[in-house]
Amino acid sequence: MKVYFELNGEQKYVEIKPGERLLDLLRRLGMKSVKEGCRTGECGSCTVLLDGRPVRSCLTFAAKAKGHRITTLEGLGSPEDLHPLQEAFLETGAIQCGFCTPGMILVAYHLLSHNPDPTPEEVREAISGNLCRCTGYAKIVDAVLLAAERKRKGDWR
Amino acid sequence: MKVVGKSVRKVDGIPLATGQPVFTLDVDLPGAAVGKVLRSPYAHAEIVRIDTKKAEELPGVLCILHHGNVPRTPYTTAGQGWPEPSPYDTFLFDKKVRFVGDRVAAVAAISEEIADEALRLIEVEYRELPAVLDPEEATAPGAPVIHDEEDARGIHDPQRNIAAAIDIRVGDIERGFSESDVVVETTCEFPYVQHVPLEPHCVVAYLDEEDRLVIRSATQVPFHVRRIVARALGLPLSRIRVVKPRIGGGFGTKQEIILEDVAAALALRVRRPVVMKYTRAEEFTSARTRHPMKVRVKLGAKKDGRIHAIEMDVLSNTGAYGTHSLTVLSNVGSKTLPLYNKAPHLWFHGKAVYTNLPVAGAYRGYGATQGYFALEVAIDELAEKLGMDPLELRLKNHIRAGESSPIFEKIGEGREGKAQVVKSCALAECIREGAKRIGWYEKRGKHLWDGPWVHGVGMAVAMQGSGITDIDMAAATVVMNEDGTFRLLVGATDLGTGSDTILAQIAAETLGVPVEAISVYSSDTDFTPFDTGAYASSTTYVSGGAVLRAAREVKRRILEVGAAILGDPPEDLDLAESYVVSKKTGKRVPLSEVGHRAMYVTDQKHIIATASFVAPESPPPFAAFFAEVAVDTETGIVRVVRFVGVADCGTPINPALAEGQLEGAIVQGIGHTLYEEMLISSRGGVRNPSLFDYRIPTAADVPEIEAVLIPTDEPTGPYGAKSIGEIGINGPAPAIANAIYDAVGVRLYRIPFTPERVLRALRTRS
Amino acid sequence: MAIRRYHYARDVDEALSLLLAYEGRGALLAGGVDLARGPGTDVEGLIDITAAGLGGISRDAKKGLVIGATVTLEEIRTSREARDYLGGFLTEVMRHVATLPLRCMATLGGAVVSAHPWADIPTALIALGAEVAWRNEEREERAPLEELYRRPFRAIFRRAVLTEVRLPAWGGAFAFEKVSRNAGDIALLNCACGLGVKDGKVAWARVAVGATPYRAARLTGVEELLVGESPSAELLAEAGRKAAAEAKVGDDLRASAEWRRAVIPALVRRALERAAREVKGDA
Ligand SMILES: Cc1cc2nc3c(=O)[nH]c(=O)nc-3n(C[C@H](O)[C@H](O)[C@H](O)COP(=O)(O)OP(=O)(O)OC[C@H]3O[C@@H](n4cnc5c(N)ncnc54)[C@H](O)[C@@H]3O)c2cc1C
Ligand code: FES
Ligand code: FES
Repeated sequence: MKVYFELNGEQKYVEIKPGERLLDLLRRLGMKSVKEGCRTGECGSCTVLLDGRPVRSCLTFAAKAKGHRITTLEGLGSPEDLHPLQEAFLETGAIQCGFCTPGMILVAYHLLSHNPDPTPEEVREAISGNLCRCTGYAKIVDAVLLAAERKRKGDWR
Repeated sequence: MKVVGKSVRKVDGIPLATGQPVFTLDVDLPGAAVGKVLRSPYAHAEIVRIDTKKAEELPGVLCILHHGNVPRTPYTTAGQGWPEPSPYDTFLFDKKVRFVGDRVAAVAAISEEIADEALRLIEVEYRELPAVLDPEEATAPGAPVIHDEEDARGIHDPQRNIAAAIDIRVGDIERGFSESDVVVETTCEFPYVQHVPLEPHCVVAYLDEEDRLVIRSATQVPFHVRRIVARALGLPLSRIRVVKPRIGGGFGTKQEIILEDVAAALALRVRRPVVMKYTRAEEFTSARTRHPMKVRVKLGAKKDGRIHAIEMDVLSNTGAYGTHSLTVLSNVGSKTLPLYNKAPHLWFHGKAVYTNLPVAGAYRGYGATQGYFALEVAIDELAEKLGMDPLELRLKNHIRAGESSPIFEKIGEGREGKAQVVKSCALAECIREGAKRIGWYEKRGKHLWDGPWVHGVGMAVAMQGSGITDIDMAAATVVMNEDGTFRLLVGATDLGTGSDTILAQIAAETLGVPVEAISVYSSDTDFTPFDTGAYASSTTYVSGGAVLRAAREVKRRILEVGAAILGDPPEDLDLAESYVVSKKTGKRVPLSEVGHRAMYVTDQKHIIATASFVAPESPPPFAAFFAEVAVDTETGIVRVVRFVGVADCGTPINPALAEGQLEGAIVQGIGHTLYEEMLISSRGGVRNPSLFDYRIPTAADVPEIEAVLIPTDEPTGPYGAKSIGEIGINGPAPAIANAIYDAVGVRLYRIPFTPERVLRALRTRS
Repeated sequence: MAIRRYHYARDVDEALSLLLAYEGRGALLAGGVDLARGPGTDVEGLIDITAAGLGGISRDAKKGLVIGATVTLEEIRTSREARDYLGGFLTEVMRHVATLPLRCMATLGGAVVSAHPWADIPTALIALGAEVAWRNEEREERAPLEELYRRPFRAIFRRAVLTEVRLPAWGGAFAFEKVSRNAGDIALLNCACGLGVKDGKVAWARVAVGATPYRAARLTGVEELLVGESPSAELLAEAGRKAAAEAKVGDDLRASAEWRRAVIPALVRRALERAAREVKGDA
């Protein structure tokens, strides 16, 4: 079957299998920031935004993308043009292995789009569905708070 | 210092922050086949018959490997130095399976679905054998023999299922205890726990244009992968190239060769790229775990608190294969006993036994973690019996700079060690700083209530090592470009720890340039010099030592050219801010000019140097850990309210990265202390092989971790550095156990401290 | 997995006729959180109902709440209707359910039909006296959820579409308690309790305990004990003890029956205490 959807602002019309997962489709389309850590919804490495809301792409059938907007980390910023969240993650040392980073940044992006001034507890709560085994989370929380502060000052897009 | 000691951004940060395709499986190779492994449903069985006909007939199946069609060479999956201290008790495929999840066969097919279907079509007839499912019973007379194969080598006592054993005495232990005024004895138990890197094991193997085998793998030990795969498959080492791209966490589990060998064997047969990855379930059943252990500690002390005798007795369960069995066992003592070096009488003994259970291996902390759990709980008990503050007891007994311990010499890496004097130690400062931050004196013994919750504080201290003395070797090459920038080639393996960045900082500092002037290329056995790999907290110290030396040599050569340009003798010159500068006259010339001249103009040569460094000793980092917990007396839930870890890692080359190591290790430790545990069924299988059932800490679970660094200057380390990768994981279990005791007066000797265990202990007491 | 076809149902009728046409080899797909984790091997066709007009949360005439089957758990958590209903009780429950990205996918209908015994939603809904409505070949049916769970509901939903969940209005307050190993974990035990107080006496009480490890059940003996009495600390503690005696408990890999029995008193008491505190002054 073929579906239309929007991927990082670009229209796509692609052939998919009815049982295919969004995770596999996105990686097939070159969105390698979408990582597979469990395939059962628990780790968060595969998190993407569907119409702006974070979902597990491993548990989302690709067919569900039809007519919707999908955002992966590739859609947020690039090496030449970093998103403020990416800047903040780099600056605070929130990235160790980086495997959890794409999912973390996307849930943080969602949080800040709803709550421009989160408390550390709210940040912890918001990212708690995304596991990180390297950092102990402290620096990730710092990064999100730093990005929030910059967003409030208008340094954001 | 200009670059060292600064929290510069990670040199590989931008690709990671933007999700570039830098991990093992992020490459798409045309025509790649998918490899899958058929796993044993039995804990112990003989393969009587294996029939692959139906599976082979399935369209799209390319190849099936099993014990009947591969070479039989015993090897170890442990990626360690040479001679290998782990027994050769593993085969690519064997006639016998030894745990639920052991390899039976492997398939390569054109798609994952077909590979899975092929696995279902392989017919295997097993003859089930009696299994050893309890380490306590492994050595009993008449117990089933797990490694009865004749060609295994290096097993301590195969007939009694003893993979490794150790027995070390210092002084006279009996006398030690009889001379002691107070004696305590404690046994602590560590269950099966796992690393859970977010990226499961994965590999891509293919033949290049010259028919050489390229293995792109998420590994901590590329050079050991090359050696071990060569051995297992009977290939010349020179035909193999191992490349490590970015990897998604390791913590020790990627120090094991558990996938590269099969992928390589399949790729050689099917002559196309083979992609293999563990599922999360396979990570739990068929990767590696921490060695489950029972550690009994007996302490004797004088009335004034001087520790006089220490006995440590270890029963380690290595599971079905003996990977890291001897060295982890050794580390239980060698990384703990020197901490209390004043005790003249020591006895450290134990064994690592085989069972038909999941295979243990290297995991951050590497035995020390299990040892410290028992030792530091015992210290808390000893303090209580002595009527002393446990903090004071530790201050009184711990090792200081300028001191040594006989253990350094007695226990090495699977052989004798080497005497060493501790040259840097800020443990006393760590203890005092931690006590201040947690509010030790305000909170200890106060049992503050908050509804049904009672608060308590507890502490523990620890040390680790920095590399393996006289075994770990690293080499580094520094290459100057004509524009005055540099390339740094290292075999060292950055597994997310930031070692590429730290090594770049060391080079940049030495060469007087900013980090941006250094491009790091690491972990490629064809293009980078040798390095033992990322384990044993070795990278900063050992690989850093190599980088320092290579950079110094390049500096020397640059100064020679600079001397020719400036007309000053090289001794008067130094490097700073990308210039050669005369210390005497202030005359200077930019590195770009030096580079151009050397490459194109006069007395042409490429400025390049390689240096090697062997750990001459293994200077221990030290740390003190403080936990404040709240215990819900009605449900048994334990919450860590605050956790403070204060560490002396020498000079932190990059403080943010060093803190990150400490924070991450502490949170992993909190995980195994409170909820992580692999549950084993009565038939030997893992009952909770998913992140749904095996819980690891989330951001909402952990309090703010205070990770504090107290710098010291380690004279043998690069710019004074030691290590920080492992030590943090040693603290949480004992510190939290001791805090629970402070809160509610019950001692818990087995982790994890689940609500169930805590509540039972509370009810039993009252 | 042999999923051959994927359908986007435009309304309930289409969903139902597709479902019936598959004769057991089709499955209604809402959030897919459960289906994607383990679709039956015999499932050939997926019928996506998230655009079948089953969304929407509203208050009914009697101040109850009506929630469409495909409303996601996160939509409930962030909705004004849920915040206004019973002082935000449902908002609180949803915060305890799974994690944000899963809540953005999972639907209330999916939670009701999959009915995991360890889940929190059935416990809350049973305590609230939820009524569910569904459409089958013949007609639209409705029943209290508690009663539905006593029937072979899995068989029912192989040939029916759950359309909405109705929550009655209550003059009083509810509170929810959950014990889990860590954040985002499923419950080792959960409970939802509600109280109404009139003239200083308990006018009505609702007590449900779940993840025992069995699916939530109301503890009517405890409710009876409470009604007509003044909600004193002793009474609520007594109710907790009685709950432990009345609830059916068992072992699973997360916790033992012994621990569950030991913890129920505190859990039920805490929920009742919180409900009682909120209800004060309320009629
Ligand atoms: C990792 C994880 C953690 C969880 N944690 C919690 C928790 O803490 N607390 C808790 O309460 N729950 C928890 N859950 C359960 C979760 O709430 C349910 O799995 C979810 O609500 C299912 O909804 P869905 O829309 O995704 O269902 P789907 O997967 O789409 O469907 C589930 C089942 O219901 C059927 N179905 C769906 N909608 C309808 C309908 N309208 N009519 C008839 N049949 C229908 C489907 O055919 C399928 O059989 C957890 C689940 C997971 C995977
Ligand atoms: S891969 Fe999707 S949550 Fe782990
Ligand atoms: S940085 Fe490695 S998992 Fe988060």
